[in-house]
Amino acid sequence: MLSIENLRVVYHDVISVLNGISLNVQDGEILVIIGANGAGKTTLLRSVAGMIDFYDGDIIEGDIKMNGDSIKGLDATDIMKRYGVTYVMEDRPIFWYLTVEENLGAAAFSRWDSRVKPDMEKVYGYFPVLQKLKGRKAGYASGGEQQMLAIGMALMTNPKTLMLDEPSLGLAPIITAELFEIIRQLNASGITVVLVEQNAHAALDIGNRGYVVETGRIVLDGTAQELLANEDVREFYLGSGKKERKSYKDAKRYKRRKRWL
Amino acid sequence: MLDLLQTLGSGVLVGLVYALLGLCVVIIFKASEAFNFAIGEFLVIGSFLFYVLFFDLHIPFILALPLGLLLAAAVGALVERVTIKPLLGRAPISMTIVTLGLGFFLRACVQLIWGSHTYSFFLDLPDITVEVGDFLFLSDPIWAGILAILTFVLVIVFLFRTRWGLAIRATSEDQAKALAFGINARFILLIVWALSALCIAVAGIMISNFGALQVGMGFVGLRAIPVVLIGGMDSIGGALVGGIIVGMCEAVAGAYIEPLGLVGFKDVAPYILLLLVLFIRPYGLFGTVRIERV
Repeated sequence: MLSIENLRVVYHDVISVLNGISLNVQDGEILVIIGANGAGKTTLLRSVAGMIDFYDGDIIEGDIKMNGDSIKGLDATDIMKRYGVTYVMEDRPIFWYLTVEENLGAAAFSRWDSRVKPDMEKVYGYFPVLQKLKGRKAGYASGGEQQMLAIGMALMTNPKTLMLDEPSLGLAPIITAELFEIIRQLNASGITVVLVEQNAHAALDIGNRGYVVETGRIVLDGTAQELLANEDVREFYLGSGKKERKSYKDAKRYKRRKRWL
Repeated sequence: MLDLLQTLGSGVLVGLVYALLGLCVVIIFKASEAFNFAIGEFLVIGSFLFYVLFFDLHIPFILALPLGLLLAAAVGALVERVTIKPLLGRAPISMTIVTLGLGFFLRACVQLIWGSHTYSFFLDLPDITVEVGDFLFLSDPIWAGILAILTFVLVIVFLFRTRWGLAIRATSEDQAKALAFGINARFILLIVWALSALCIAVAGIMISNFGALQVGMGFVGLRAIPVVLIGGMDSIGGALVGGIIVGMCEAVAGAYIEPLGLVGFKDVAPYILLLLVLFIRPYGLFGTVRIERV
């Protein structure tokens, strides 16, 4: 179980992005995190993946625990190798100038062994389109293919927990549906998924539980069904809800009800 | 005509060494987008390390060469650890500026340790002078060319046929992505600097063998600038072609233009050529064609 306790992250020593965020990820579930741009979703994933210092950010308070061990401040590669947490960055984090097959090989770098080839076949099994493209430079693949490649690369690292940052970014709805179906399959095969999304509806449809993040805090949490039914979530993230137009001035800012420590 | 061919041939042999220098700059540029201005100092240090092993300690050549190169790689790694690593994730320009200062610092270190007088440097490699008809190619440049091209090929095999090379190429494209997929970008950068320092040392030893070794020889390293700018900053093949072009250009300028009274034109000619190339192709002859999706 991954648990994040009262995490505060500051960029460049002055920009406070996460203001005491706490959440936990149960093994084997799909956890959905939704929130507007700039709410701190990406920063949260970066912190867990151990990449926050690369972006000149600091964890100034709180802790990140994996099965009780603190993974705060560990190297990104250590977190991946020892705890099986793989972070798929937003906007298709593939290597454009390497071929599709080289991309998969590069992702397997941290665990090079004889099982790389069979694993590659497994990835091709999930994404048959990649097999056809394997000799091509990844930069020439379409957006959907690139996102599939990115997830395929993540699978090459043998993840136990997969953190996906907006996999549907810039993809057609039909591709998104295909992608989310594969994410569901991956989850069914035993991989815990943390799904950060703007596309709240599609994400909550496959998710078990969800959190709503606003200005670096959790403002709402519940099962996917609860969130889908929630009046405010419907209004601000699903675009439905009451018919009459509302001003953002009236938007409800949640106060954190739970207290920590 | 024969004269010209002779000149060009000699130019190519020296050009191969320049190509190796260019390669060293290119791999660092690709990995961290920083230009290594301290290349000349790495060249001198590599040569001196070999000098100590071979001429002072009388270790046989076959042992002294790999040992010297490994020491040079260790120096490269050390320098990376101390000066470049803390800058990972920052703007590449800050690394470039660090290498400028590093150049001065290393030059002072060399001067402190070995002084600034000239050391005679003669490898006494087997004589393989080629004399066919009217052509004459001296043994030393041929050895230099062979060793340079051998090193070049080994580096390319390393980069394109091993998993370490794959990791280096991935990191070269994007450090953050590499980090996210479990490639330790910090360690990869260390490897790249060590590899670069090692290749520079090969070039340095070959260049020292043409004449003598002294601290001022570092300026030869700057010959890498026209090489990589002509070939393209991020192209390995470009470094090879650029190196050969610069070598030939220098040889031709030395043989045909200098006798007209323009002493020292040999050293300027590559830069004039560079200017011409940049007018026509600002990214260099083989600079990356950016992938554009439509």
